[in-house]
Amino acid sequence: MPTLTFPLSRIEGHAQVVIEVHDGEVLSARFQANEFRGFSYFVQGIPAEQVPVIVPRICGVCSTAHHVCSVKALEDAFGVTPPPLARKIRELLLLGQIIQNQATSIFIFTMPDRLNVDSIFQVEDGTENQNDKDSIAFKALQVRKSGTDLITLAGGQFIHPVKAVIGGVTSGILEADAEAMRQKIQEILPVACDLFDHYWQMSIAMGERIGTWGDDSPAYYIASIDKSCPNYDTQMIHVADPNGTHVDSFTAHDFREKLSFRESLHSYAGETSFRDSIMRANSLARINMADSMGTPKADEYLQSFRAQFGKPAHAIMLFDLARGIELVYALERAMEILSEPLDRDDTDVPYTPRDGEGFGLVEAPRGPLIHHYTIEKGLIKEAEFIIPTVHNMRAISHALMVAARRYVTADKVDMELEKAVGRVVRAFDPCISCATH
Amino acid sequence: MPKFAVLQLSGCAGCEVSLLNANDWIDRYKLVYMPLVISAYDVPDVDVLIVSGGVRTDEDLYNLRRAVKHTKKVVAVGTCALSGGIANLGNRDDVRALFISQTTRMHVPRLLPRSQPIDDAVNVDLYLPGCPPTSELFMAALFQTPGFVPNKIVCQDCGRVKDRTVRPTHLLGFREGNVQSKLCLINQGYVCVGSSTRGGCRAPCTRAGHPCVGCRGPSDSFIDKETADWLASIQRVFETLTDVQPEEIMASIKTPQLSLFLFQFMDYLGVKRTPRPKEKVL
Repeated sequence: MPTLTFPLSRIEGHAQVVIEVHDGEVLSARFQANEFRGFSYFVQGIPAEQVPVIVPRICGVCSTAHHVCSVKALEDAFGVTPPPLARKIRELLLLGQIIQNQATSIFIFTMPDRLNVDSIFQVEDGTENQNDKDSIAFKALQVRKSGTDLITLAGGQFIHPVKAVIGGVTSGILEADAEAMRQKIQEILPVACDLFDHYWQMSIAMGERIGTWGDDSPAYYIASIDKSCPNYDTQMIHVADPNGTHVDSFTAHDFREKLSFRESLHSYAGETSFRDSIMRANSLARINMADSMGTPKADEYLQSFRAQFGKPAHAIMLFDLARGIELVYALERAMEILSEPLDRDDTDVPYTPRDGEGFGLVEAPRGPLIHHYTIEKGLIKEAEFIIPTVHNMRAISHALMVAARRYVTADKVDMELEKAVGRVVRAFDPCISCATH
Repeated sequence: MPKFAVLQLSGCAGCEVSLLNANDWIDRYKLVYMPLVISAYDVPDVDVLIVSGGVRTDEDLYNLRRAVKHTKKVVAVGTCALSGGIANLGNRDDVRALFISQTTRMHVPRLLPRSQPIDDAVNVDLYLPGCPPTSELFMAALFQTPGFVPNKIVCQDCGRVKDRTVRPTHLLGFREGNVQSKLCLINQGYVCVGSSTRGGCRAPCTRAGHPCVGCRGPSDSFIDKETADWLASIQRVFETLTDVQPEEIMASIKTPQLSLFLFQFMDYLGVKRTPRPKEKVL
């Protein structure tokens, strides 16, 4: 009974796919997370107020989401509501996170699959030479950097930001700095749209070449954003059924009653389910549950997406296109916020630490992220991190099974399977550092 | 074009993300291995091997030992690779017991008893501390940027003004209160350890109003000294700039779990280590 093991690259963290085959039949397809650091253990006994500095280190890619989520969990525990200015600046932080992440995912992680190369840094034909300023690699890094610059402006530093504090943020944003950032984004928006148009065409071509858009089984979708003009600093989690009908909404406090969680014996990451069924989080969930994006360019892309793929759309390669729509939205929305007055003094409200329990929720690039802390004598007694990638674990395994059955036949294993495995996993853009923490 | 590879052990990928934020290497160095952005199974022969993350699993150890055979130079980047970093929190004995519950899993890399810095296993030619090191420091490490001399301590990067006449009598909580924009954070009552922390980062945290947590580790003056000397130095700074009682200062900076000291005082947990030579630390 051969076992096929595929190490994975161009994803965040250490993982592999293991597919067991017997007599041409695929017995199992497993997605294994291969690292573990133990954040829920080692924050135990830490003064609660230090957690927003520690937990961003769960992940250098998603540190902004953890930073804001952690502050929100402590605000919930301490019973404090941040002022509107602080919420604006946190919204900017999370938009920066979306820009950075979606640009990285589509232009650096998955573009090479469409170009049939190992990396965008290794495209070396003509104008797409990696040394060329017109190259995809250079432009991709430029778009990505507009997101990281935005996080730096709103968060102090773009990896492991520091400016969100319990009760608000440490400072506002000077008008001149906000205007300079707005102009920078204005310049980068057409570059991002051009790259995305190119990516869209290449995705269509790839779909035709390989003859599939991947697993298109209907599934439940989970996201915590509103139906239009999403603010990723969220309050409620929503679930839609496989027909796209809204079936449930709940706060982070109630996640235990709504979602079931199971540890895995062969992976350091567990998996969640909704009504014992597979659910999907991340870009496609948000796009399927949105009425509109609320900004002009992004809405144009959304309309094209709907016209071509319907609502709800299920094929997994559409996660990738959905990311592009969100990238454009986040750039446009950030410009709107940067035009508002952000240079004010009402950045935070005072608070009194107290013991108890707190839940934080944000919509991270990969879906709803929950932090749950229990505080005793000012120290963390217990901490839980409900990671968006974990909501997708069953969906990833299912999509891998679909791909494996496509390429494994009675007489042989078509080694296109190796590429398919990469494409499937990257469509979900899993974050293993986060999923295992 | 010289070639370089990036090996990521157990960490958060923040160091890799910081490297990606610098465009400058694109036309000067050829990146041949970095699983985050390149599909490649093995580290080929390279001029420079950048290693991030700590040694947490048997797989980390295997990959590290195998990779260093293919390089002329090993650069350890980030606090995890240098001193275990934030993972040191998991090395506390009371917390280590909890990890045993993870040993029942199958077909996954085994956890080692502790998270270790990479120089426990291999020789390191250059250390680049930071959590993460800034893009500018990455470039300096790769290219030995001419004329780039990092500041000795974070205070020199910070630009906040120390004022001996503004003397708080009590410390503020770790992250509470309204931060004034120009005044030294210690004058405002925050526990900031920038005065003994290695500079060169341009102080993004303190400039944004957040106390330095010491992620770049000890400055050259303290790198080969005992923890007690560093603590005494921080104490002296607080005595110069505040009227806070010595007991309150010590209680605050000696909280064993205080995240401030995870980075800076890697031997706080009783792990004795030979100091890294100053000339090898950027």
